[in-house]
Amino acid sequence: MSDYLSATERETKEMLDSIGVKSLDELFEDVPADLKLKKLNLPAGKSQQETMEIMTALSQKNKVYDIILRGAGSYDHYIPSMVKNLSSRSEFITAYTPYQAEMSQGILQAIFEYQSMICDLTGMDVSNASVYNGANAAAEAMLMCCEKNRKTLVTFQNIRPDTLKVLKTYARRRGITVKVLPVPGGAVDLKALKCELGEETASVYIEQPNYFGLIENAEEIGKAAHEAGAKFVMGCNPIALAILKSPAECGADIAVGDAQPLGLPMAFGGPYVGYMACTNKEMRKLPGRIVGETCDHDGNRAYVLTLQAREQHIRREKAFSNICSNQAYCALVASMYMSAMGPDGMGEVAEACVSYAHYLADGLKGAGLKLKYHGDFFHEFVTESDIPADKILKALDKAGILGGLKLSKNEILWCATETLSKAAIDKAVDVVRRVK
Amino acid sequence: MNLIFEISEHGKRCATIRTPDVKAVKTDKKYLRAEKPALPEVSEVDFSRHYTALSRRAFGVDNGFYPLGSCTMKYNPKINEEVAALPGFTRVHPLQDEKTVQGSLEVMETLSGYLAEITGMDAVTLQPNAGAHGEYTGLLLIAAYHAARRDFKRTKVIVPDSAHGTNPASAVMAGFEIINVPSDEEKGVDLKALKKAVGRDTAALMLTNPTTLGLFEKNIKEISEIIHKAGGLLYYDGANLNAVMGVVRPGDMGFDVVHLNLHKTFSTPHGGGGPGSGPVGCKKALAPFLPDPRVEKTEKGYKFVYGKKSIGKVASFYGNFGVYVRALAYITALGAEGIKSAAQHAVLNANYLKANIEDLYPTEKGRHCMHEFVVSMQELKDKTGVSAMDIAKTMIDRGYHPPTMYFPLIIHEALMFEPTETENKRTLDEVIAALREIYEEAFKDPEYMKAAPHHAQIGRPDEVKAARQPVVRYIKN
Amino acid sequence: MKILYRESHEWAAIEGKTAKIGISDHAQKELGDLVFINLPEVGATVKAGDVLCDVESVKAVSDLYAPVSGKIVKVNEELEGAPELINRDAMGAWICEIEVTEVPSDLMDEAAYAKFIKG
Repeated sequence: MSDYLSATERETKEMLDSIGVKSLDELFEDVPADLKLKKLNLPAGKSQQETMEIMTALSQKNKVYDIILRGAGSYDHYIPSMVKNLSSRSEFITAYTPYQAEMSQGILQAIFEYQSMICDLTGMDVSNASVYNGANAAAEAMLMCCEKNRKTLVTFQNIRPDTLKVLKTYARRRGITVKVLPVPGGAVDLKALKCELGEETASVYIEQPNYFGLIENAEEIGKAAHEAGAKFVMGCNPIALAILKSPAECGADIAVGDAQPLGLPMAFGGPYVGYMACTNKEMRKLPGRIVGETCDHDGNRAYVLTLQAREQHIRREKAFSNICSNQAYCALVASMYMSAMGPDGMGEVAEACVSYAHYLADGLKGAGLKLKYHGDFFHEFVTESDIPADKILKALDKAGILGGLKLSKNEILWCATETLSKAAIDKAVDVVRRVK
Repeated sequence: MNLIFEISEHGKRCATIRTPDVKAVKTDKKYLRAEKPALPEVSEVDFSRHYTALSRRAFGVDNGFYPLGSCTMKYNPKINEEVAALPGFTRVHPLQDEKTVQGSLEVMETLSGYLAEITGMDAVTLQPNAGAHGEYTGLLLIAAYHAARRDFKRTKVIVPDSAHGTNPASAVMAGFEIINVPSDEEKGVDLKALKKAVGRDTAALMLTNPTTLGLFEKNIKEISEIIHKAGGLLYYDGANLNAVMGVVRPGDMGFDVVHLNLHKTFSTPHGGGGPGSGPVGCKKALAPFLPDPRVEKTEKGYKFVYGKKSIGKVASFYGNFGVYVRALAYITALGAEGIKSAAQHAVLNANYLKANIEDLYPTEKGRHCMHEFVVSMQELKDKTGVSAMDIAKTMIDRGYHPPTMYFPLIIHEALMFEPTETENKRTLDEVIAALREIYEEAFKDPEYMKAAPHHAQIGRPDEVKAARQPVVRYIKN
Repeated sequence: MKILYRESHEWAAIEGKTAKIGISDHAQKELGDLVFINLPEVGATVKAGDVLCDVESVKAVSDLYAPVSGKIVKVNEELEGAPELINRDAMGAWICEIEVTEVPSDLMDEAAYAKFIKG
């Protein structure tokens, strides 16, 4: 057994003596005797070596693919060595929320830098120190926008299913209506949207690129939202933002998204990190931690957690949100990724995604699949075919390739990133071509 | 030190990627941003030095004593980091076919089972991403439970005045109204006030046990009876489970729903404020409402199951999976005996520290504390002007992380110490000596203490300035 | 003009049918350095005793209550960027102006309030 305790028997005895009790049990005298547990029904503890063996064996029961053509909210990108290396420093890993600014300037500055980078990427004025993940960021944004007489969120069938599910969960007990509009052409139908907007609309939420990979005409959607007096919230893939118009340029009031593509592994869905940024006007409603710059009494630059009166530990039941932690470590990784890549590197990654995705789409077309939608796409797209999706994906799996995500019997959502190559795509296309 | 933006030079590169070997496709100009984002441009050596310098200005459990009460800053075993980084866990897409992720599903099912056993619950979801998120999820379960019984009048959640601020905030987010109940003389729930507060509108009582004062709620059986008799449910805030795991289980105390913090009790790192993980356990009657999906073990292996009555999803995919791997490695290493032993030693360490400072740092008298204790420095402040804050800042000068300050709100000039079980006696002895000296110093040189810290990265920051004219991002001059 | 105080430390300076509302110097001192004020909404009607708005210091937030009933006709926007004006001159820094419909009888005059805060 490895229990990470450091007291020897002798020390334990000395400590018990010092407290004035005879046994460890005596310290639990306040616990009613009849409630005390006899023994936990758990396996016996294991040595460190055995623990390593058990966990390694578990990890080997998963299949790791060399070629990944699946995205849909979790993306395989190259993670620079220096990001992995520097982020694994134990000071970063084992620190807590930087309540004591005088000994936490490193964590605070890292968060301040993260906030600044998110602002640069989104064009917004203020970013928080991050929230749980992209879906929760969208849900928090929805709550931010609700007013007494405006309690409807308008969104579309082309946002990530997980995001939609989380929005619905968060809406239900708060009397918020979530209107989900159909998207026959894959992208937002502006005319249909305008018909649905009204005095009760609190916000309009879109994703850019949308779940099907299409690039939305976000500016027009934003204008329509604002004309109806509603807020405009955009959920954006941060890699795409390296080249696409920023949410600020599109008129968004709040920008959210999942920053997983920025240096975080897919890791079976988490931990990821949701980013959240807004205009100055919305700053006081922004949930979560925020780090601000100030100075100490000698005039030295200093960073602190600020605008804390928004938060649950002060406002309690009047707080806008119950969020108290952020995903600080994941935010650190994301900011390391952004500084390691820089604006040019991020742009190159985005362009590589676009190029490979189009090469893959062309290849699959050549192999007999059809593109379901006709709009411009970033690094994901949907195909349809007479051959069942299952058959195609099974054949790819046999070849060690994780194919796209099955959306329906005959539809597949594909994704390409810079991790691919011409050879990898050719191989996948070749497999698909042979499926009959 | 400089911000990374201030060492940025146009044209510098750090990480680089392979040039695509297919035809370059350009995105239509109408979609493109006017300017590249103003991200930093640094060389690799600049990058490495910058982040190394930042890490040196951070203080973690590996740096020293970290008695931050209510946060359980126990040691984060290194093996946990290594196993979580295994490619079989990190290089797996969340939407792979179930057959190809049996290892991940086994991790989730096994961990859920262990947590159910430790808490005395019938079912567990791992999905919530943090403690507060777990509270929210647990309260949604409670709402769904009452709604399924068509008992729609249960709109109120009772919260003791000593509760964590997240409790009332979570309950409001879950659509409830809050009733606060005061503490009695022994700092437990005031039973008289509780009896008055319950009724046909009571949805639940949220309780931390041990309480936020680090004391075991002796009247837990009575409390449970009062709530259940009124038709309400009992919610366990697992923030303080580290004191009692393996000793007594929330389920046996009468709790119906519990959330845990894997980053407190189960040794997963705090990472500067997250990611955490806030699994929720519940009794059978509430299980049908748990978030989708859950993992089930069948003859053919592990699979996801979806419930008809589920409250839906509270986070994307399955929550913070990487955190589960670490927690499972921890429980695997400790086993049944180790879990209990961890709790016992957490309580031992807290009582040892308390016993050796309580003549100067007054706390609840005549009782043993659990894994933490709260002292009130009001008397010292009255005598010397030195506040709890000044003591905390003086501790920084001595290389210790201060305890939690000014919480719970019902104690004046509060300091909350939680040494955790992984702290060794030698360090505790040093800390005891230091705290005793600091107390003396408050009489000798109060002004010096009021200006502490003197040897830290910065002096006390101007928080008023930070909040009045917020500067929350770098802007190039 | 007469100035009346509420037990929760707001003042109302009543002149004819309108009243300017603020917080007392005593309250200002208790709250400490104010960092933000959520000004009430112009056009809203409030009843005496309703929450009017809230003020934030670094580590606390406090509700302010309407000392009189009526309609809010004006807010002091100057405070939005400079809540410290309340710290500097609590009696001068009015928060909003209310078209008064009712003045509760339990408000205190200057002398009574001075006695009240002395306890």
